Amino acid sequence: MAHDYMRYKANVWIDWCPGCGNFGILTALMKAFAELNLDPTKTVVVSGIGCSGKIPHFINVNGVHTLHGRAIPYAMGIKLANPKLTVIVNGGDGDLLGIGAGHFVALGRRNIDITVILHNNGVYGLTKGQASPTLPLGKQPKALPKPNIQKALNPIMLALASGYTFVARGYAFDINHLKELIKKAISHRGASFIDVLQPCVTFNNIYTAEYYRKRVYKLEKDPNWNPIVEDPSEAPTKMFKAMQKSLEWNNRIPIGIFYVNPHEPSFEERINERMQGTYLKHPPAKSIISTVKGKPVINNYLFKKLFKDYIIEVKEKS
Amino acid sequence: MSSSLREVNLILGGPQGGGLETSMYVLTRALAYRGYGVIADREYYSNIVGRHSYIHMRISSTSIPNSLTYPVNIIAAMDAETIFIHFEDIADKGIVVYDVNTENTKIEDIASIEDELRERLVKKLDYLGVEHKVSSLIKYLIDNKDASIIGLDFAKILNEIKNRFKLDVRQLSRYVSGIITSAIANLLGLDEEAMGKSLAIHFKERKHLIEPNLELFKLVRKYIKDKNVDLELSKPSTGLKEVIVASGNEVVAMAKIISGVRYQSYYPITPAADESFFLEKYELSKIDDKVIGPIVVVQAEDEIAAINSVIGAALTGARSSTATSGPGFDLMVEGISWAGHNEVPIVVTYYQRGGPSTGLPTRGSQSDLFNALFASHGEFARIVLASGDHLEAFYDTIEAFNLAEKYQVPVIHLLDKFLANSIITMPKPNIDAIVIERGEVVDNVADYKRFDLSNLISPRAYLGSNVIMWYTGDEHNEYGHISEDSENRIKMYSKRIEKLRLIEEEVPVNKKFTVIGEDNPDYIIIGWGFVKGVAVDAIKALEEKKLKGAYINIRMLWPFPAKELREILRKVPLDKIIVAEHSYEALIANLISMTIGVKIRKKIVKFTGRPMTLNEFVKALYSLLTSDREKVILGHGA
Repeated sequence: MAHDYMRYKANVWIDWCPGCGNFGILTALMKAFAELNLDPTKTVVVSGIGCSGKIPHFINVNGVHTLHGRAIPYAMGIKLANPKLTVIVNGGDGDLLGIGAGHFVALGRRNIDITVILHNNGVYGLTKGQASPTLPLGKQPKALPKPNIQKALNPIMLALASGYTFVARGYAFDINHLKELIKKAISHRGASFIDVLQPCVTFNNIYTAEYYRKRVYKLEKDPNWNPIVEDPSEAPTKMFKAMQKSLEWNNRIPIGIFYVNPHEPSFEERINERMQGTYLKHPPAKSIISTVKGKPVINNYLFKKLFKDYIIEVKEKS
Repeated sequence: MSSSLREVNLILGGPQGGGLETSMYVLTRALAYRGYGVIADREYYSNIVGRHSYIHMRISSTSIPNSLTYPVNIIAAMDAETIFIHFEDIADKGIVVYDVNTENTKIEDIASIEDELRERLVKKLDYLGVEHKVSSLIKYLIDNKDASIIGLDFAKILNEIKNRFKLDVRQLSRYVSGIITSAIANLLGLDEEAMGKSLAIHFKERKHLIEPNLELFKLVRKYIKDKNVDLELSKPSTGLKEVIVASGNEVVAMAKIISGVRYQSYYPITPAADESFFLEKYELSKIDDKVIGPIVVVQAEDEIAAINSVIGAALTGARSSTATSGPGFDLMVEGISWAGHNEVPIVVTYYQRGGPSTGLPTRGSQSDLFNALFASHGEFARIVLASGDHLEAFYDTIEAFNLAEKYQVPVIHLLDKFLANSIITMPKPNIDAIVIERGEVVDNVADYKRFDLSNLISPRAYLGSNVIMWYTGDEHNEYGHISEDSENRIKMYSKRIEKLRLIEEEVPVNKKFTVIGEDNPDYIIIGWGFVKGVAVDAIKALEEKKLKGAYINIRMLWPFPAKELREILRKVPLDKIIVAEHSYEALIANLISMTIGVKIRKKIVKFTGRPMTLNEFVKALYSLLTSDREKVILGHGA
């Protein structure tokens, strides 16, 4: 049954704290996979380090649990070598926006067809609650010895400025809403980003489930909100509106889609165009490099032709 | 004066950005076309325009030269700075080509000379009683070295070219290096056909430059004839029929293409970036109806992204690699640990330059040996290969991919700037003898376990095949899920390291090291990488003195071939074993001490960033063999 998402559940005990927002994200992710009917052998979940980093082990698709901050580079290598795979990155706020911020920006610039899901809980959970790049200035979740002396960055604004062509925000405990966002993000061609507000029950006693429940509202409820760039000329206006919207915080927190630009070519399409269609037809992971006899595809004859500018045939002076 | 030489050494000097690299390629290709053997090294500052740069070349009519040496037969100077810096390197009866318009230039007028060097040169000139200007120095060379001087009026020559081809005056500076190239080509007896061929290759995409440069060659010939200086290379007898003229960067890139590399990611760094440029140029080729590629080359946001994306690509089955230098490698280290832990085959081409820190970013070294061998937290199997010359680098590049996939380990191919930027007339490798080994790969098995413990090497399945798998940087079980269980830890940890024993057993000894020279030597030199050429030539040179030597060229630095090497070292007394390396400590001696228990004390080292040259190496070697001296630090070369 396509909708039976439990088939995407791996046989591994989930060792997150009871009540963790990650459970909501995991369920939404598996439900999205089920509704999109993704082939587990052609799907790869790539994660970084921290509580969110464990997520691939709980899902019955290919999983690559990488280094702190580096999930995006791994995902880039996987996707560019085999563009037929569906690649999803799950990372925390410290992971994607602290140590890995450079990669986060670079993915937007490239617009590779990868979906990035930010588990945004404002703290470094697995190292016991230090301030993350999304924790506002002056806030003091319970593990902090002093109030936060650094300012928070705005993930939505950063994603927009970096060039992500699908930018959304979800809430971990609005599973069906989040599932829909994930489905759209995966189906989007290009770099997609979902900022997921994720309560950390153990270390973040400020941004709790109750805090969010009272404040989040859905952008799509506003009939005038259309984040989709229908015509390329609208892109600057729509982006400006999305940025403006991203500044809304405190009493009311918008969730939903902020910006979608389906007109930008993906990185893979750009490579493919440069390679006259050969890239997608014979992607790196699938292209043949040796003969059945274990010889290189390039033989002496092809070598001489290929590198003719470097080969000099000696002609002695007569 | 008339002579026919079997070998010529020369220096072409001028400002960085002035076209000397072009001179190097144009001359080498023309000489190769006529059957000569050439090695040429390019020395330059970390600078785009203006600082002193030079090409040091050795040309042979009998063989492919292995090393560079001083003094040189010709110094061709684009500017006054070159004459001041290199005047001591000219051989007796050598030739100096220079611009007569620089005659009145004083060393004090040359802003681009570093203060330390200027002070030293001024002292030397004062000591020799030479006035600080070019004309006085030229006179000194005539009087004291019996030098032949070819003073050319560069401005006049450029003006003639300008008028003939109606060139814009702003383009003329591009032809200055062409004047000295032409002078050398003429002095060496190169003909118009050879120069025409070479220029046509070099300016393939800028065809309008071919004719003026060829004309320049002819024009300079006319002026040189007037000077009555003649230095002709003897008729070539190298037996070369077909050669490759390429830099180390280019040779490695060609080999990567043969190997079937399909993903390369890098961050710009000297002296590695040219390799990636080359690959990008060849990202997709079509020959007859055969498609070669695609090779996806990604300039990443940093070296961390480069290495980790390479690992990601490798997981899908694409042969993947990166190319970097010391500072970049440092940033890659955490990724290499992940690759070792997850048994991912990747190739890191590591071109060493002078450290620590930014060090001498455009100059060579071998001081990163331990960085390549030991960088990373935790213990895991890796392979480190080194190459003694361009041809070895070609074959080792292919070997690196094969070993990586066969044993599922990261392979570091440790090269250096000397190789990266030098060009050589390399015999064409035999492509049809090359083998591609991809290791054991499965696609569709029930209950696939990526880290199956039944063998040291678990069959690999690619991400995207018909099975699913997990990878993690945490300790993992056979499926790739996190496991901190002690018994599992013992099995997995041991498996990853025990692969080293398998590599030690299976790799044939000639791929671990080669012995060049006498079977029963009086002395042995041990080295790796670019030391090979100079060491082999020095051993030959000392044969005159009835000293029989052998060079051990180590090609697999890790796992270190301790067992096989121990046997050879037993054959000669300890004080007749010498290590040579471009570093301060001669790190290879420490590695031998650590793995074999033999403490070698005799060392030849150099850490100026310039390559060891034959003249200084022979002297050092002889001194070490005939005295109690333990260490010689070399320093020749501007």
